[in-house]
Amino acid sequence: MKRVLITVATLLGALVLTLAVFGLDVPQALGLIWNGALGSEAGISRTLVRATPLLLAGLAVLVAWRAGMYSIGAEGQYIMGGLCAAAVFQALGERGFTLPLMLLGAIAGGAAYAGLAGALFIYRGVQVVISTILLNFIALSTLRWAVQNSLKEPGGFTPQTTPLPDTMMFERYKLQTDLHAGVWVALGAGLLTWWFLTRTKLGFSIKWVGANPKASEFGGIPVARTQMAAMFWSGGLCGLAGAITYMGVLRSIDQSFSENWGFLAIPVALLGALDPVGTLVSALYFGALFAGCEALSRSTSVGTSVVLVIQAVAVLAIVAVGQWRFSVRSKKAGEANL
Amino acid sequence: MPDEPLLRVQNVTKHFGPVAALTQVSVDFWPGEVHAVLGENGAGKSTLMNVMAGFLQADSGAMQWRGQPLPPSPPDVLRDLGIAMVHQHFKLVPVMTVAENIALDRMGGTQGRLDLETVIAPARAIAAQLDWQVDFDAPVHTLPVGVQQRVEILKALAGPSDLLILDEPTAVLGPEEVAELIRILRDLAAEGRAVVLIAHKLEEVFAVADRMTILRKGLHMGERLRAEADMSEVAALMVGEDPPRGAPVTGEPGPVRLKVESLSVKGDRGEAAVRELSFEVRAGEVFGIGGVDGNGQTELAEALAGLRSFTGKIERPDVVGLIPQDRQREGLALSLSIEENLWLGPVVHGQAGLGWWLSFSSLRAGSDESIQKYGIKVGRAQDPVSSLSGGNQQKVVVARVLGRQPELVIALNPTRGLDVKAAEFVHQQLRAAASAGAAVVLISTDRDELAALSSRIEFLLAGQWAASLAGV
Repeated sequence: MKRVLITVATLLGALVLTLAVFGLDVPQALGLIWNGALGSEAGISRTLVRATPLLLAGLAVLVAWRAGMYSIGAEGQYIMGGLCAAAVFQALGERGFTLPLMLLGAIAGGAAYAGLAGALFIYRGVQVVISTILLNFIALSTLRWAVQNSLKEPGGFTPQTTPLPDTMMFERYKLQTDLHAGVWVALGAGLLTWWFLTRTKLGFSIKWVGANPKASEFGGIPVARTQMAAMFWSGGLCGLAGAITYMGVLRSIDQSFSENWGFLAIPVALLGALDPVGTLVSALYFGALFAGCEALSRSTSVGTSVVLVIQAVAVLAIVAVGQWRFSVRSKKAGEANL
Repeated sequence: MPDEPLLRVQNVTKHFGPVAALTQVSVDFWPGEVHAVLGENGAGKSTLMNVMAGFLQADSGAMQWRGQPLPPSPPDVLRDLGIAMVHQHFKLVPVMTVAENIALDRMGGTQGRLDLETVIAPARAIAAQLDWQVDFDAPVHTLPVGVQQRVEILKALAGPSDLLILDEPTAVLGPEEVAELIRILRDLAAEGRAVVLIAHKLEEVFAVADRMTILRKGLHMGERLRAEADMSEVAALMVGEDPPRGAPVTGEPGPVRLKVESLSVKGDRGEAAVRELSFEVRAGEVFGIGGVDGNGQTELAEALAGLRSFTGKIERPDVVGLIPQDRQREGLALSLSIEENLWLGPVVHGQAGLGWWLSFSSLRAGSDESIQKYGIKVGRAQDPVSSLSGGNQQKVVVARVLGRQPELVIALNPTRGLDVKAAEFVHQQLRAAASAGAAVVLISTDRDELAALSSRIEFLLAGQWAASLAGV
């Protein structure tokens, strides 16, 4: 309980500090953010929609990192997921079963792309950190190439995929709000991931492999297979995140499809203490900040980039506070031992 | 002969917890001599060296340097005085060159700009004087082990080094490199240094040392000049009488559980670690394998447990349990809880509920039973396993491995670092496993342990059964 209070206080402190440094009237800015994020039905919808990719990619980071696979390839897998969904649509056209197949294609594409990094590590010893960074660049180039060539809208003038018809988009409940059915799909996937990590044998093995691969091997866990499974699950979540943004918000994919959600998800997972529930809370918090700061940018001179600064300050502050508490505790423990 | 020793160690005692590592040990080290400190694993050799070099502080006792009292001092002070140590595990940075490694050690006091050549000039001069061929520009990891060791010795010699301590210097070397090292040590002593050598291989010691001091279980067992020493007498001093056999498992052996035929296993560096071993172990039997560390024990255990590739033939039962020697690295996930550490067995081997799911009720029932049965002292089963004492951590490992009732148990130094009570507990459990019909392979460097448990004992030397026990 104390830990949660300290975390909330730290986050709030980071927020206030950043707003002040940006030269804003802090109470007024906080009010604008609050209203933009939670003050209306439209605000709450926007918060949920912004939180969705953060939740999925954040959980993806958490699954991989728990297995000791320090993947930062969420961004590339997100792109691949979106592209695969677009490819499925282009291949099948508007049919009854296309939408679920688009989602499955996105999951498979993201999983395969993450699996590539996993296999490079297991069979060739390439560090996942390195390979996933490089695979992100390849995904970006693939995106640029695909929207100009094979996935380009036939007869279109701009490099983008064919806009999805309404039947292929997640249902939007009201015209005035952003909320779409994909949000619930994401929540379901999040729930499934929580269950996978905490209630299945594979999830248990993932935890062990991340905690001590050598002891896992000695204890009989098939280490390589477990690491691959974690990468597949992680990539699948990212692919799904890409598809939900595409099919819930964007309608078509262009070169700017990658909006750094995969990178933003890393601090989200870290602030969530690499815990599924913590990551959910953290994703909602930053989703709200994004929504709120969009409102803020309409009435002040700062843009939504202030969220990135807030996020960075928050991560640094949490790490610093955690370290400080740790050293205070160690000092106390040391004195107790004397 | 000089009229006073370079370093006198007087009545030094050192305890680690309840364990006496050194008890009232006194030794004089003379300039111009190679002085070997002999003893089995755990005899207190390394503790004595670490006290001499300042890495450990003695509980009581005194030291004198050139006739003057030497107060307890940190290693760097002793280093400046002339006590230099070459560690068994080289303290070199593999990707850096020889010159950079030497400079790293000699940089203290230099500021700002680093003139590599000036800093390593003394080392170069010594290498030339000793007629050593060392490529100072080669990255260390490209050099053979023997040359790496020479770099380590050069580092020591580059500063004041009237007393040079070498911890098990031959452990990593091949026969030719050992011969070369012996020549080097003789040269260094001939220049007037006191060379102190920690060792347990008698042949090598008799080839190089002028004087030897024998330790056993922290006690000074005697001192001999090589000229008047007898190898079998020294071996007896090191090993002691065979202790009375405790209660070795001697029940009627059952059917063969483990059958090994011309087994060869390679070590991590690709060297032949186990060579053409053949043996059988029957149900109800404890087969003891002794020998000094590094003679193929780890590789043998891992091959038997199916964790390392091998050539030859191993016939083993389905359920094999391995008690690893390094519980923190190979046995436990320290960041996880006590019960999660106990759950690994049932989860991996499919004893916990249905299919892919975890059944927490059955897992928890199992772990609570283990905690009871093995007397693991826990606050809550949800506490991190790292909060337990070493003995209780080992109980967690033993409980998990034996809890599956394996038909073959492989135990590799299962009581290393444990106190007497915890060690006795592990012994009881191994006996019980054998009585219950498991075949037990006990690989240990502790002769008392082997004698107390084993139905029969073989000794490993360089990956093969040693013909005689002397000097093993």
